[in-house]
Amino acid sequence: MTNSTPSSSSDNSIQLVHAYMDGELDLTAALGIEEKIAADPKLAAERDRIIALREAVQQNLPRDPIPPTLQRRIENTIGLRQETSHPTWRTLAASVALAVLVTSSSTWLFLDSNAPKTMEGAIVAGHIRGLMASQPTDVASTERHTVKPWFNGRVVEAPHVADLASDGFPLIGGRIDVVGSRPVPTLVYGRRKHIISLTAVPNAGRPTSGPSVSADNGYNIVHWVTNGISYWAVSDVSASDLDEFAKLFRATQS
Amino acid sequence: MGAEEDNKARFARLITPYLSHAYRLARSITSSPTDAEDVVQEACLRAFRGINGVADANARAWLLTIVHHTACTWLRKNRPAALISVVDVAAVEAKQAKFDEQDADTPETALIAKSNRARLEAAIGSLSLPYRETFTLREVEGLNYREIAEITGVPIGTVMSRLSRARDQLDDMIERKRL
Repeated sequence: MTNSTPSSSSDNSIQLVHAYMDGELDLTAALGIEEKIAADPKLAAERDRIIALREAVQQNLPRDPIPPTLQRRIENTIGLRQETSHPTWRTLAASVALAVLVTSSSTWLFLDSNAPKTMEGAIVAGHIRGLMASQPTDVASTERHTVKPWFNGRVVEAPHVADLASDGFPLIGGRIDVVGSRPVPTLVYGRRKHIISLTAVPNAGRPTSGPSVSADNGYNIVHWVTNGISYWAVSDVSASDLDEFAKLFRATQS
Repeated sequence: MGAEEDNKARFARLITPYLSHAYRLARSITSSPTDAEDVVQEACLRAFRGINGVADANARAWLLTIVHHTACTWLRKNRPAALISVVDVAAVEAKQAKFDEQDADTPETALIAKSNRARLEAAIGSLSLPYRETFTLREVEGLNYREIAEITGVPIGTVMSRLSRARDQLDDMIERKRL
């Protein structure tokens, strides 16, 4: 392998643009490099190249699953699939899952009737934890091309990330919240000096529903369901601001 | 039987969910779906033997580390030339020549977005192994620098330089040959 020597003083900044686009910078460093990008067309071009390449990969390189024959062969070799009267791992897993479903306090996630109330509590708790932490995000970036891929591999499905900066709701970053015992993605947006947490909980089977506004512990909450995903926007901004945020976000989903 | 049953359940819980990640990494390192199958199978056996030693939260990086080592060992034994491959521009260009000529005046970023799967795979496949693997772990698997450093056994600074150089080389190929 060869090593090239840095040739100009901005090499370090270019390296930082990559780290920034990979969600590796803390909030302060991220803001610093955002300023440099805004001031330096060369750095902006570097950012655009990273985005273009990333989009090409995401659109054109499907994340191929393991071939089923290979998975079967591995499971056979290890003995996960024995043709005996012993329960297989699948049935064991199913019975464990059933036991968990019946006994666990997270049953409300799956059974419908009382779901929203408890779920709402968990999501507001996530928002409050975010406010109490040194920063409300695990990945700090105003760039949706950084925030969305950061969720890959951390949650089952990376959430839809909308750019609403021009409408006065700049993206600040994202974090993982835990609802029930499930990791779920939360996007963090700003509104003047306030923080809006938008949590996306995959909830297959839930019918699409329009926004409903409620309040909990002094926080306003707007909840809606689109394409089998429950969205919860939580903030201390006014209910009308939060409602506007929800409208704008929903408009980017259609 | 009790302990062994535990190991199987543990494997099913911790490792099975990441088999596709393991397969994609093995394919990226070996550049061959067939070789990748052998590597993943062997890596899974190793993982099963060591399943007691892994912390729950670390299972994915742990499995991918095993895949990395298994694949590199496999390459050393079966295809030593692959380990010292450099970017073979002529081969990539020949492979790409048939894809198109019509994009001559399109800006570079638009060209990248237009690249289809075959072009992109050929370009990534032409990177040398450390660049190819690092790029795949970051852009396809979405791993962070620390995880990539752990899996590939190099410092984070090396991950950063490999990643930016991999991106540079991909951009170069796209620019030069209109991939």
